[in-house]
Amino acid sequence: MLLLQVIVGGLLLGAIYALFSSGLTLIWGMMNFINFAHGEFVMLGMYVALLVVVWLGGGPATFGFAAAVALFVLGVLVYGSLIRHVTRGPMLAQILSTFGLALLLRYTAFWIFSANIVSLPQTSLGGTLNILGILVPVAQLVAGITAAVLTVAMHLFLTGTTIGSKLLAVAEDRNAAMLMGIRPDRMQALAWGLAAASAGIAGALMAISYPWSPSVGETFGLMAFVVVTFGGFGSVPGAMYAGLIIGLIQALSAFYFGPIYKDIVVYGLFVALLWFRPQGLLGKA
Amino acid sequence: MVKQVNRRTVLAGAGAAATSLATGASSVRAADPVKVGVLFPLTGNAAAAGQASKAAVEIAAEIVNDAHPELVGIPLAKDAGIPGLGGAKLELVFIDHQGNPSVAQQQALRLINQDKVNVLLGAYQSSCTLTATPVAERNGIPFVVGDSAAGNITQRGFKWLFRVTPIASDFAAAYMTFFADMNKAGHKVASVAVVNENTDYGTSVGDAVEAAAKKAGLTVSNRIPYSASTTDVSAQVLQLKDKNPDVVIFISYTADAILYMKTMKNLDYMPAMVLGDDSGFSDPSFIPAIQDIAQGVMNRSAWDIGKPGSTTSKINDMYKGKTGRDLDDTSGRNMQAMLTLADALNRAGSVDPAKIQAALIATDLKPEQLMMGYRGVKFDETGQNILASTYLIQLKGKDYKVVWPDANATEKLVWPMKGWKA
Amino acid sequence: MKGTIALCLAFLAYPFVFSNAFYLDIGVALLLAAISASAWNIVGGYAGQVSVGHCMFFGVGAYLPLLVYQHWQLPPIVGVPVGIAISLVLAVLVGLPTFRLSGHYFSMATIAVAELIRLVVSTWDFAGAAIGLQGPAVGRGWYDLTFRGELPYYFIFLGVLVIVLAVTWQVQRTRFGYYLRAIKAGERAARSLGVPVRRTKLYALMLSAAFTSVAGSLYAIKTGFIDPDSGFGILVSVQMVIIAALGGAGTLYGPLVGALILIPLQTATNTWFGGGGTGLTYILYGGIIVIIARFEPGGLHEMWQRIAPKLWKRHAA
Repeated sequence: MLLLQVIVGGLLLGAIYALFSSGLTLIWGMMNFINFAHGEFVMLGMYVALLVVVWLGGGPATFGFAAAVALFVLGVLVYGSLIRHVTRGPMLAQILSTFGLALLLRYTAFWIFSANIVSLPQTSLGGTLNILGILVPVAQLVAGITAAVLTVAMHLFLTGTTIGSKLLAVAEDRNAAMLMGIRPDRMQALAWGLAAASAGIAGALMAISYPWSPSVGETFGLMAFVVVTFGGFGSVPGAMYAGLIIGLIQALSAFYFGPIYKDIVVYGLFVALLWFRPQGLLGKA
Repeated sequence: MVKQVNRRTVLAGAGAAATSLATGASSVRAADPVKVGVLFPLTGNAAAAGQASKAAVEIAAEIVNDAHPELVGIPLAKDAGIPGLGGAKLELVFIDHQGNPSVAQQQALRLINQDKVNVLLGAYQSSCTLTATPVAERNGIPFVVGDSAAGNITQRGFKWLFRVTPIASDFAAAYMTFFADMNKAGHKVASVAVVNENTDYGTSVGDAVEAAAKKAGLTVSNRIPYSASTTDVSAQVLQLKDKNPDVVIFISYTADAILYMKTMKNLDYMPAMVLGDDSGFSDPSFIPAIQDIAQGVMNRSAWDIGKPGSTTSKINDMYKGKTGRDLDDTSGRNMQAMLTLADALNRAGSVDPAKIQAALIATDLKPEQLMMGYRGVKFDETGQNILASTYLIQLKGKDYKVVWPDANATEKLVWPMKGWKA
Repeated sequence: MKGTIALCLAFLAYPFVFSNAFYLDIGVALLLAAISASAWNIVGGYAGQVSVGHCMFFGVGAYLPLLVYQHWQLPPIVGVPVGIAISLVLAVLVGLPTFRLSGHYFSMATIAVAELIRLVVSTWDFAGAAIGLQGPAVGRGWYDLTFRGELPYYFIFLGVLVIVLAVTWQVQRTRFGYYLRAIKAGERAARSLGVPVRRTKLYALMLSAAFTSVAGSLYAIKTGFIDPDSGFGILVSVQMVIIAALGGAGTLYGPLVGALILIPLQTATNTWFGGGGTGLTYILYGGIIVIIARFEPGGLHEMWQRIAPKLWKRHAA
């Protein structure tokens, strides 16, 4: 029973990892671009949720949507003003630009919101369900299921719609896509918007049960890298599986070996995976 | 400038006892301010604590610099400035060491060589205190440590280092005395769990508590070190639930402390008592986040706001006016360090480092002269305050109340805690 | 050549012009940053293998001197060669599997290995776990290299920097350097030209690791303290990458130029705005990095090479 409880907790957290990592994998796979500021997008999503709750009220649906919209706009702006100009430069310029961006976003939040830890006021999602003896907090259940649904939706959008296939076409071969009349710039801007929006919603969902401060992005950013590499660059289903698996591994190793070993186990497996299957679980070689 | 000082001194003198006339006369000449270099982490992971401590130290300087006769007992509050230095004021130079030990070292150099400070105070994280204090030692500048808890800070034979705060072994001893009292009172405490964040603070306090508990014959059912940046603690809560100790001691920072309380509620786990070790449990963000689900949680603190109208309550009002929040224990310990320093400066009668050092060594403050609940301030040869002690407080409604030791208790202890069933 | 001599003179004169301990300490920090970024540059710049996990070598180099002091009361300097040896072994262990990976995979792999080491060290009591290790607070003799002033450190660090740059200069001129540039330009083409790609990359990583390890040792001996974050933190790696990229990766003086800009910038923003506690330090710092990446993606060295001839022409005319 205890084991089942641990597993449920791990999967619910893993679903959220999957959601914010799916955004990172999208731009990584599509543009071969490392974004060091992805964790900061998650952090900003959390603050958008807080502002909406404090100023306008409303439940998770309201602030989740608001976080998605706000971060989508930010993602497009970041692409248009910065990323577009460095994307075809040397890889070092990419690292430089997004690392600088991460500092800029983190400390702008710091300036505005101060360093104090904040948490969302108690929402309607307070209680705990008892499903056959397994305790499942409603907030985490809703967050986990929403995250899983959205990640699947992202995958369906990419594979099942015209815009989605245009996006993937740009990822596959930029020049060929241009010849087909697709404007890669627009598609890439869209990808950045989607990536940031998914991070934003994930942040808003995390905010329901997790207290935070502006420096929280660092933790999420590193976790997203691991999930994306684990799943294979550019693969949304890969990020989905990897997110769930890593959530599960963390929960199980925290329970059996102790919490300080949970990340050691994750990184250890990760290094082993890179050794044996460097393209990730579902990545193309 | 000179005029202003005069008028303030005269006003203070008129309002207060005749003794101040003498000091008033000597402070007609405006003395040079005493420069105090203050090192805190104002950015980075510990920024919240650093910023709160900065505000507290600023209030301490205000208490010394302006006339505050209403703060009964606090040395130097009554008159403006430091009488022993001809009414000189404290001038604070703040630096941000970012929680980075090498930046702390570099900025300590800057404060001494560039800003020519007379004395240093800091530096929150033990790692930064460990690297900044040797700079002061080599340059012969007194360094007052407000709240870094690592034991080895005072074990290096330094002559210019003075630590006002109690340290890990003191906390551990206090907890064991408390548990013994509980057992006498019929509240069973046979097994405890120690849950600590795994940086220098959590590890050193956790080790001390575990060792003391074993020595006191208690069973340590779980020892759980964890990383404070963790996003999920359900596995640990399940481990605790599995072993079901009588008391769980948390040595945690803020976000993780809140997360533990929320997760315990979600997983329906409540021990007879949760005892927080200051830090996260004292952060003003903690109470509003958990007051509905963790009623009766206990915490270590040497700070008590006290009854309205008391000196501590007035100090809290000053702090609240500046920051909008109640003073917390961590910031309070830094404030006490600054006030201790001011008292020594007054007795030194000079800004000569050796004189300040001698005055610090001779420090002997009584409990009624302190804003914190120490038994006094008196340094041993290592520079450690041997009269530092602590209260235990309990969350009742929206505030912590002192419940232990009995001599200082303002309310009765509630055992077991009520949690969300209040 | 003229430039090099001028640079040497400037560095030799600096401690006498700015004899204040604080300015000297900035100089020491600058030299340290230049050493580690130049060391990174060998594999990250010349060979184009962007490691974001170089803190693993820095950390090993930093821990060893304090470990030998802590456990056996040996002078910290004894740990320096041990640190180099361990870093070399680590470089082989990390390099052999990960060099099969290209581009971002290599970067990610290095981050992951470094993070794994940081996490393990944080729980390892022998290495001080999360609390870290201290050096001698007061030197027992000259051999402890615990000096009262900053001046000895300045010249020791300067000497090491000169050695690193001299070796890099030598590498640049030899066949080995040519191999590195060929690999950076395109691995497949390099292989078809007969370049022993994997061996070359491995040698570059080992050379780079050894120097980075020395940089770590210098840091620990000077600071007298090391903990997992200041030794193995990801920011340590990122700082090397940023400094090299800012100045111009894959050029001899690029990392030095980057350090000359970034370290004074860091210190100045922290000195002027840090005490205010608003985070303005990092807003400025991040903003400037973004602006340089946006407008000068090749680094300042490239900009200088573009501008310098024009300036020269105008001067001559």
